[in-house]
Amino acid sequence: MRLEHWRFTAPLRLRSIFRRGRVEDEMDEELRFHLEHKIEEGIAEGLSPSEARRQALAAMGGLEQRKEEIRDARRVHWLTDFVDDVRYATRSLRRTPWLSAFIVVTIAVGIGMTATPLSMLDALIFRPYPVPHPGRVVTLVSTTRDEAYGDFSHAEYLDLRDHTKSYDGVVASSTLLPVGFVARPGETPTVRGGQLVSGNYFRVLGVDPQIGRAFRDDEDQAPGRDAVVVLAPDFWRRDLGADPAAVGRTIRLNGADFTVIGVAPESFPGMYIFSRPDFYVPLAMAKTFSTNPEKSFFADRDDRELAVRARLKPGVSMLEARNELTTLARNLAREYPKSNRDRGAAVHTQFEMRTRGNDLNWKFGVIFTILALAVLLVACTNVAGLLLSRVRSRTREIAVRLAVGAGRSRLIRMLLTESLVLAILGGLAGVAVAYAGIHFMASLSIPAELPVKIPFRLDTRVLLATVALSLLSALACGLAPALQSTRTNLVSGLKSSEASDVERGPRRLRGRSALVVAQIAMSLMLLTAAFLMYRGFHNTLLDRMTIGQDARDHILMTRFDPRLVQYDAEQTRRFYRLLGERARQIPGVHSAAFTQDPPLALDDPGVVAFVPDGFVMPREREAFTSLMDSIDEGYFETLGIPILRGRGILATDTADSPRVAVVNEHFARHYWPNGDAVGKRLRLDGANGTPVEIVGVAQTMKYRDTFDRGIDFVYMPFSQHPAARMVLLLRTDGDPLQLLPPVRGVVHGLDANMPMLETRTYADLYRYATVEGPGMAIKLVGTLGIVGLLLAIAGLYGLVAYNVSRRTREIGIRIAIGAKPADVIRLVMGKGLALVAAGTAIGLALGFGLERLMNAMLFNAGGTDVMVYLMLVPAMVLVTMLAAYLPARKATRIPPTLALRCE
Amino acid sequence: MSKPADLVQGTLDLLLLKILALQPLHGWAISLRLRSLSSDVLQVSEGSLYPALHKLEQEGWILAEWKQTENNRRAKFYALTRLGRRQLEAEAANWQRLSAAISYLVQLSEA
Repeated sequence: MRLEHWRFTAPLRLRSIFRRGRVEDEMDEELRFHLEHKIEEGIAEGLSPSEARRQALAAMGGLEQRKEEIRDARRVHWLTDFVDDVRYATRSLRRTPWLSAFIVVTIAVGIGMTATPLSMLDALIFRPYPVPHPGRVVTLVSTTRDEAYGDFSHAEYLDLRDHTKSYDGVVASSTLLPVGFVARPGETPTVRGGQLVSGNYFRVLGVDPQIGRAFRDDEDQAPGRDAVVVLAPDFWRRDLGADPAAVGRTIRLNGADFTVIGVAPESFPGMYIFSRPDFYVPLAMAKTFSTNPEKSFFADRDDRELAVRARLKPGVSMLEARNELTTLARNLAREYPKSNRDRGAAVHTQFEMRTRGNDLNWKFGVIFTILALAVLLVACTNVAGLLLSRVRSRTREIAVRLAVGAGRSRLIRMLLTESLVLAILGGLAGVAVAYAGIHFMASLSIPAELPVKIPFRLDTRVLLATVALSLLSALACGLAPALQSTRTNLVSGLKSSEASDVERGPRRLRGRSALVVAQIAMSLMLLTAAFLMYRGFHNTLLDRMTIGQDARDHILMTRFDPRLVQYDAEQTRRFYRLLGERARQIPGVHSAAFTQDPPLALDDPGVVAFVPDGFVMPREREAFTSLMDSIDEGYFETLGIPILRGRGILATDTADSPRVAVVNEHFARHYWPNGDAVGKRLRLDGANGTPVEIVGVAQTMKYRDTFDRGIDFVYMPFSQHPAARMVLLLRTDGDPLQLLPPVRGVVHGLDANMPMLETRTYADLYRYATVEGPGMAIKLVGTLGIVGLLLAIAGLYGLVAYNVSRRTREIGIRIAIGAKPADVIRLVMGKGLALVAAGTAIGLALGFGLERLMNAMLFNAGGTDVMVYLMLVPAMVLVTMLAAYLPARKATRIPPTLALRCE
Repeated sequence: MSKPADLVQGTLDLLLLKILALQPLHGWAISLRLRSLSSDVLQVSEGSLYPALHKLEQEGWILAEWKQTENNRRAKFYALTRLGRRQLEAEAANWQRLSAAISYLVQLSEA
């Protein structure tokens, strides 16, 4: 029945829409045919032709009304009306091109500025894992008192995999490991990012290779047996030319041969947000890769290097999974007290993992989004104000339409269509603004060893959100003016070109005044945020806890990882000894140093567990932990870090001499608040561990990032605490890059196959950590604030100017009867000043609130930065006053004669 | 939409369907037929005829087609569709029940 109905009616509807002119012509012809017969009939009855015609028309009872009824019968008038409205709207908007353009630009800025942080938020929080049914994939973490999101060891992973029932498979993966890759024998290895994964990784995640096969579950059973590798699509294309015959080929990774068994699909770029693995190898091949050299990957239960994820079985709740895991962790703690005492475990969803408390990125994203939405709000209020005054000047037009019988809802629809057209144009332009913003963010180059992808992009979800925002803003901007203007009093509306505001004016102006107050408040808040960020970041650099300019401008750094060329511990020691000796002989080199990570490098520093000698540890705690670095005797001199007491590391601190350490001042004060730390001893790992004597105290620096507010740090001699990956720092007088060719020569002379990783000046690293990263944040928020302020100025100016034009006659009369310019200015500006005051007060309150939030989330600081407000508020008041003054001054020049004639 | 106040609501549709069930006609002929069939009892304003016809067409009950009249002029002829015939039967039955019920009510003696 329904189907048959549509067979008859669908063609009619389509015809009514697409052949509208034809359908109209046919209707006219049909009615004409009727009328002609009727007239002929009348004439035949003896009427005069004109009388016959009159009667025929009368019998129809209003030809045009009948036509409207027939049009309504077509059931598509909502659409054809809409098309009419759009056509009408574009025509009417074209009549005021500058105003329309200004509105479109305002919306574009608002939307574009929101889409940029939305794309950030999307990438950081909401974009699901690139696997089927991503919502069922959860992350298992190991927890201790100090660490809420810890990794698991291999042995623990096997326990999780074999003793849980909540999951359709539990997978493990290492972090992205730098791997030396050689496509052809004899070439110097290049560094690629590889990931160790469990044999069931691809099967459980539901990822099918595009060619070849994925791992079999048994391929991670026997350590070192199955040298197989699955390639990532990017790597396959870039390094192997997308050769389908690559499957079955052998490639060399860290000097060992691996057989390529498959290529992951394009849809699976890995599970990270910021980086993409180049290939995947089974966990059982861990020995070939850069796992912790001091631990045994397969045996040591405390060698925790694996991230564990699992696919929740259908019907199993998070709560059940959590309970099961808690029980399991308790059993492990009982069974292996040495490695698992006080260690729990937790299950987290993807969302929980991405919004965890110790991650800064998403917090930036949230703050940006809040600020951007504030700008959008300002933009919308501004547009609403402009539309309001636009509609107002059309009072007469609207009154005429109402008078000839247009329905109110029909008129509102018409007016809303106008704001919709504006919003859609603005939204389109906004997407362009968003692209520019995202391009700007993606332009940030991050000095990391493995390429970092800035994953912000305008994908479908962000675009949809943007479209929704445009539509919402159209509704928000257009509804109030539409509602208000159609409530016009017909008589007064028809009489004057502009509505008389005598009795209804104050109410209408109250709406616009509220908008202006909101705008001033919002932009003050945004500017406060930008300034706070600027000062916050700036302050982090003022405390002399970073490397001095003299040092950082003259240091070349390059990183080595001899494991990439299969060195054992002895070869590594010899390589670094020779490298240090020869590097110091390079002409122009003042000093050279080895470190695991220079301050402010992107990698996380190492961690050391210790008990200060003589301390009685609390019962539930085995040891304290601190960040640490392995360095050599040149370190403090090269970086210019002062030794405050005792001595630094010396060349005489060798593997055979008593073990020593240098601690920073924060550490010394922390553990020996009333005494000198020099001469005290630490025991590594626990109360019965190796004793280490503290021989010196160095100045506290910033180690991880510029937000560091003084943390414990321990330096140990590289000879006594060897590490495989080391950074060579070379200090000179001139341009550090001039050292590059001789350093290359030295390294080549030692081992032609040894790759030099992350070769750059220290200034590059410093600039990223202190200027570019924070600078981008400041620029983004500052742009938001300035755009907001411009909008607020435009809004205030518009309001006062509008007020002046509304009261032209009144002002003219006042001038005619002797008002002085100052009186006129006071009259016009008084209101504006009140608005500025109210907006500033609210903005200040918002700013204080935001400062709390930013201090809590970003700067780990309390207190109020009075300077920011002292600078901002007067500037803000001055600028907004100017916006009110300009139209006021114009009002004083109104010639009384013109004013009196103006009606 | 202006309602044919002189007709019981909904009966215009029924009348039109019934007339067209006899033979395809154009609008003018329908109006003539309405006049002659119902003599003076049922007054259908010519104005409400065309909106009603277009409504029936949009419902898929009647089909319009441009054809030549006997004196060689182009006119829009309406004919009943299968759907329209079914609708006519439904409405006719409905009308029968309604009129039977009303005449029964009217004839009740006021005892």
